[in-house]
Formats: sequence, structure tokens, C-alpha cells
Amino acid sequence: MTPAQSPPLTAPELEEREALRRAWQHPSGIVGWFSFATHQAIGMRYIVTAFVFLLIGGIEAIMMRLQLAVHDNTLLGPHLYNEIFTTHGTTMMFLFAVPVMEGMGVYLVPMMIGTRNVAFPRLNAFGYWMYLFGGLLLYAGMFVGTLPDAGWFAYPPLSGPQYSATKGVDLWAQMITFTEISAMCVAVELIVTILRLRAPNMTLNRIPIFCWSMLVQSFMVIFAMPAVMIASTVMLLNDRTIATHFVNPAEGGDPLMYQHVFWFFGHPEVYIIFLPALGMLSSILETHTRRRIFGYPAIVLSLVGTGFVAFGLWVHHMFATGLPQIGEDYFTAASMMIAITTGTQIFCWIATIWTGRLQLTAAMHFIFGFLFIFVIGGLTGVMLASVPLDLQVHDTFFVVAHFHYVLIGGALFPLFGAFHYWFPKFTGRLIGERLGKISFWILFVGFNLTFFPMHLLGLKGMPRRIYTYSAEMGWEPANMLATIGACTIALGGIVFMVNVIRSRKRGRVAGPDPWDASTLEWATASPPENFNFVRLPVVSSRTPMWTPAQDRVTVVGLRNDRREGLVTTLVDAQPHRRFVFAGPSIWPFLAAIGVTIGLAGSIVQFSWYYVAAALGTIAFIGWFWPRRPFEVQP
Amino acid sequence: MSEARTLNVADLPAFEISNKSPLWLGQTLLCVIEGTMFSILLAMYFYYRLGFSVWPPPGVQLPHTLIPTLAWIPLALSVLGSYWASEGAKRDDRKWMLIGLLVNLAFALVFLGMRAYEWVTLNFSWSSDLHGSIFWAILYLHTIDISGDLLMTAVLIVILARGRYGEQQRLGVHVDSVVWYFLVAIWVPLYAVIYWGPHVLGAP
Repeated sequence: MTPAQSPPLTAPELEEREALRRAWQHPSGIVGWFSFATHQAIGMRYIVTAFVFLLIGGIEAIMMRLQLAVHDNTLLGPHLYNEIFTTHGTTMMFLFAVPVMEGMGVYLVPMMIGTRNVAFPRLNAFGYWMYLFGGLLLYAGMFVGTLPDAGWFAYPPLSGPQYSATKGVDLWAQMITFTEISAMCVAVELIVTILRLRAPNMTLNRIPIFCWSMLVQSFMVIFAMPAVMIASTVMLLNDRTIATHFVNPAEGGDPLMYQHVFWFFGHPEVYIIFLPALGMLSSILETHTRRRIFGYPAIVLSLVGTGFVAFGLWVHHMFATGLPQIGEDYFTAASMMIAITTGTQIFCWIATIWTGRLQLTAAMHFIFGFLFIFVIGGLTGVMLASVPLDLQVHDTFFVVAHFHYVLIGGALFPLFGAFHYWFPKFTGRLIGERLGKISFWILFVGFNLTFFPMHLLGLKGMPRRIYTYSAEMGWEPANMLATIGACTIALGGIVFMVNVIRSRKRGRVAGPDPWDASTLEWATASPPENFNFVRLPVVSSRTPMWTPAQDRVTVVGLRNDRREGLVTTLVDAQPHRRFVFAGPSIWPFLAAIGVTIGLAGSIVQFSWYYVAAALGTIAFIGWFWPRRPFEVQP
Repeated sequence: MSEARTLNVADLPAFEISNKSPLWLGQTLLCVIEGTMFSILLAMYFYYRLGFSVWPPPGVQLPHTLIPTLAWIPLALSVLGSYWASEGAKRDDRKWMLIGLLVNLAFALVFLGMRAYEWVTLNFSWSSDLHGSIFWAILYLHTIDISGDLLMTAVLIVILARGRYGEQQRLGVHVDSVVWYFLVAIWVPLYAVIYWGPHVLGAP
């Protein structure tokens, strides 16, 4: 690690920094390590863990592609293939895509809005541990020889007690609970952080667009995630373990109900992943074009609009289930409406690029990659929104191609761009531009090579999730091409990892603000101190870092000998009162352990829920038990 | 660098017990999560109802309405306790916090006792038929939530009785009342649907 490179400080500020460093110091030792409660530490843990799961999910993808490369292949066999595509989808959606976006939010939002930590630092830590343990629980199944094999959305009756007799689906269902708890923790704390802890004068219309996107995303988590917990735990798991009848047609239960509830979560989920990516893109673009983003109100309203419309789309995943025509019409129209809100943003970005002075860094390469890939994915999305076409290509590789174009194009490419852009903030060193651009081109070519042929395969009728096919189907050339593409993506991933490892050790020292960027995270040292700012900033525009230095205002009068921040009013961000952040504690970790033991047991027997409740209660009492000094000193 | 360009906040209070507290907002959002969950369960209830001509299916006894209706009396009184406790917390009045929480806990326990009595007299379970499954899911999850909040109330009573507490715990008393208001309020539609629903909408 390089020493933190801080912005220039005056003599009194240097003194204040020493005091703050003492107050915000991490606890030492192993127990201390499990007690960290600063948003940078927890956010980085989210990001690193999520990238490990990306690697695992990627290896699974390569295994699938190798199996499908030639006809009548016996490399994996049907059972293992089912397990691999299920864990691939589950890992990418629940253990990579959502958590990595949450992690970026946890890391960046408090800095961007000018405060010292998230509003509930211990809840933040608890959420991270739940996420980690949920992921470990799923993969623990590998060691007892049972992984889920009913697809990442586990439709009954296939996933029901009759057709999935092993414990794999139970593991899947309970893993969902872990990741959802984690996502809700982050959602609640980010909403409160953004609404109540902003820098003075950061009115609603000065919030950085990335923070707006996290705010909308967090509200979507709050309304969407309860649905998936009901689907996976209340309906599916209870049907499997205590013989309820939610999805059992023999007793009047309805597998379609499961699909409705699952997709009421599942479609917003796509935007839960996608909105933060859009927010990152707007941030990167503003800095790289040297101008304020074009159409800020339009972009913010589009984000909010997407958040609303996203809840009226779920049935388009179910067009093939024989729903009433009027319902299908409604959901077709709603699905097409998404093109309006997304299109608005794309035009705003084009206008920004057009009228700005563009710097073509590696990060910008990924942004352009996004625009290209995502527009194609968006177009196939509009195609799929039309019922007749959807009925033709439902459950074929056309759909696989579509959602990889929108998810990889819409989320992964901006995320990689964001990673290149914020790497100097994370590490204090610049990421290698040359290798960054090389890895972009390999990934871009590899991506299109992998997924474009899948459109054609789908139109030719190749169903998804088959483990092999016969030679006379004529699917082999395109499949071989896709497999070559997948290996190219893997190569791009390796170049990216090499770049990260090399730059972290030997990259050019970045300084606090290498891009001359617009938002407040660049006012901190690189990497940031635990308290972010020696003095909290007061903002006077949407682009506070572009305010001339002599016009900047800072907050004084906060106590530096404890973890103190500022609560501001919701709309106008006027200082309301001081606020003491919770410090490090081992209890969130212990609470997560206790809940994990109970929830893991619950897949065997329902009564283990009471163990979860009992252990959780003990830990929560420890967590909340009053400690000296009882009174908050003024 | 000029010294004048600073905003001094030293005079602002370091603590406040009110609905402007970040913890209040966080707790409210947790209630929204719970509310969303129950709303989806209610939607499921009606969806399942559509699949049957008679609801609950013949042979299943209709849910009782007498005891759950009478149980509103202790439940309403418990809200009064919550209110006293939260007002006491704002004034830093230990006596009223304790009285309020104890009233809350006592009447809530009476309510839970009545619910338990009614449970054992039902002739269907979660695994007997679909109506039983959705009925029990709603009732069980609400009971779990109530029990969780009562545990929190009990812990707060112990902390207050020991007398070693500060603003954080007083704020805890305040948001504890927020959770209780929510759990009572959400019971209105849940109660109406699962107890009166079959009586009103049950026939073909």
C-alpha cells in the first residue's frame, strides 16, 4: 500500500487530522478485524468478495461453453450441467451483480455526499457478513455433493419436493434469504445516509447522479426484495420442508403464483443492477467531458421513472404461460415504456459527449462499449416485449443472448469503467491505461463473439439449458464460435486482473484528484482516510470540485475526538444537528454467525428458525446494550 | 487561504429524540419492508381465493371471529402504553417510559395469549389445505414480528430498570413505539382479510 496522498492542509487542519485519525482508528487484532465499521472497509470487502464470486461464476460459464462447443459432448453430463447453469445464474445475479453494486454504493456514496460514514455502520457490517455467509452456504453444498439444479429462478413444480428431492434447491432458497437481508441492510442505510447526512447546501438538485441512482435503487430493493423472500422461503421452502401447499396444484396451490411473485422481484432486480451502472456512467462522463452533465433533471427523472415502471413489467417474463390477452397488452406497453426513460438518458449522454471535450481513457472505452452493447440488448428487449415474437423465441438462446447483452453490456461494462475510474481512489495509484484499453478490446470482441451467435441459435430454435444437441441440428458452428468467444472473454479477464495487480503495486502515484473530477469523493485523500474529510465540505453547486478553491467553504466545530458527523434537512440540506456514528463492534459479526447457524439448519428442519431467532436475539442484545458513556456529551 | 470561509456548527445539539433522527427514518424503512411483505401476502390470498368456488374448501371450519375481535381491546390498550413510553422518552422521564413499556408489554402478552388460545382451537393447519397455508403464513409472520418487538420492549424495560442508560436507549424507546404502531396498524387489514374474508367472500 502507498501512503495516503492527501489534499494540501493548513497547520490547524493537520492537527485536526491527527485527532480524527485517533478517533477513527480501526480496532487491532483478529477480533478487531471482524469489528470494522467504516464504509470504505466494508465497501471494499463487498467489492472484493463480489469479484471472487464473479471469477467463480465465470469459470462455471467457461465449463458450460466447453460442454456446448461440439455436438453430443459428454464432458459434463446432464446432471452436472444442470447444477452448473443454476449456480452460474445464481452466483452472477445474487452473489455478484447486486452485491458489487451495493459495495460501490457503500464505498462511494458517503464520500460523494460529503459525510464520514454511512448512517448505520454496524448494520452495514452485519449486511456484509450475511452476504458472505450466504454465498459460502450455497457453495458449501458442493462439498456435500448437492448443488441446486433447477435454474436460477427455480420454477416449481421442477423445484418442488416431487422433482427435486435433494437438498440443493433448499440451499438455493435459503441463500436468497441471506443476500436479501444484506441488500435490505444496504438499502436502508443508503437511503438514510443520502436523505439525512448530505453536506450542507447539497440540496436535492445537487446530489451527484450516482447517489440519485443508488437512492432509487435502494427504494427498489425495499419494495422488490420482500417478494423474492416470500417466493423462495415462504412458498418454495415451506412446501418442501413442512408440506404447505403454495405451489402444489394437487391442493389448489399454483406454480404460476410463484412465477408472479418471483418476477415481481425479478424484473426490478434487473434495474437494481442496472441503475447504479447508469449512475456510474454519468459520473465518469461528466469528468471525462470536462462539462456539467447535460440534462441533469431529465436524467434524474428518468432514473426515478425507471424505478416506478420497473414494477409494472414482470409479466413479460411469463408471456408463454397463457395469461389473458389484456394483461399481455398492458405489460407489452409497460415494457416498451422503459425504452423512453433509458433513451432519454442515452440522448443526454450523447449531448454531453458532443458538447464536451472528451478524454478517451480506458474508463471511457468501457463506457463506449456499454453504449454499443446495451443499445443492441435494448433493441432485442423491445423485440421480446412483443408477445408474438416472445412466444417464438421463449426459452431459447435468443433470450440468453438478450439478457447477457443487457446485463453484461448494461452493468458489467460500466462497472469495469467505474473500476478503472475510481481505482486511484481505492488504491492511491493509477491503473495502467494501456493494459486497460487492451483488456477492453479483448473483452469487447470476446463478448460479441460469444453472445451475438446466440441470437441466431435462438432463432434457429436452440432451447436454453440443454446440455447437448445432435449434429443434424446444424447448431455446432455458432456454438463453437461462442465457446471461442467465451475463452476470449476469459483472456480479457486475465489481462484485467494482471493490470489490477500490477497497478496496485507499481502504478503511478495518483494524488487525491488525478482526473480533475467534479464530485466530492476526490476531495479526500487517495486512498481515503477512515473519516474521509478533515473538514466536511459545504457545497455551492452540482460540481463542488470545480468550484474555485478560494470560494470553497468548510464545516468547523464538529468534535474531532469522536466519530461525529452532521445531520442536515431532507430537501435543502441545512445543518440540523450533529450526529455520532456508531463505532466498531464485534456483535454484527456474531449476530450474523448466529443467524447463519439457524438459517442453515432450517433447510433441514423448520424448528431451526427458532435457533436463528434465539442466537440472533442474544447477539442483538449484546449489540444494543448500553455502553459508557451513557449520555452523549454535547 | 482566508479564515472566514467556514461554517461553524459547534452550537448545534449533538443529540435529539424526534422523528427527524436518522434511526427513526431507518426504522420506518424497515416497517415499509415488512408492510410490502404483508401486502404481497394479501395479494396472494386473493389470488388463491380466485381458484376456488368455495373458500375455504368444504370441510374446513371457518376461522373464528369472536376471540380475534375481542383481542383488539388489549391490543388497543397496548398502543396507549407505547405512546406514553415514547412521550416519556422525549421528555427524558424515566417513570413514564417504564410505565408505558410495561403497559405495552402486559397488554401485548394478553393479546398473544388470546391468539394462542384461538390457534389451538382451529381445525386446520398449514399443511392441511391451501387456505390453511396462506392463513398460517400471514398469522405466523405477524406473530413472529410481534414477538420480536416484545423482546425488544422487554430488553428496554430491563435497561431502564437498571437505570444505566442514555440518549441512545431513549431513542430506542421512541423507535420501539414506531414499530409497535406499525404492527398494530398492519393488523387491521390482515385481521379483516384472514378472519372476515372467508365469511364475506367465501361463498360461491
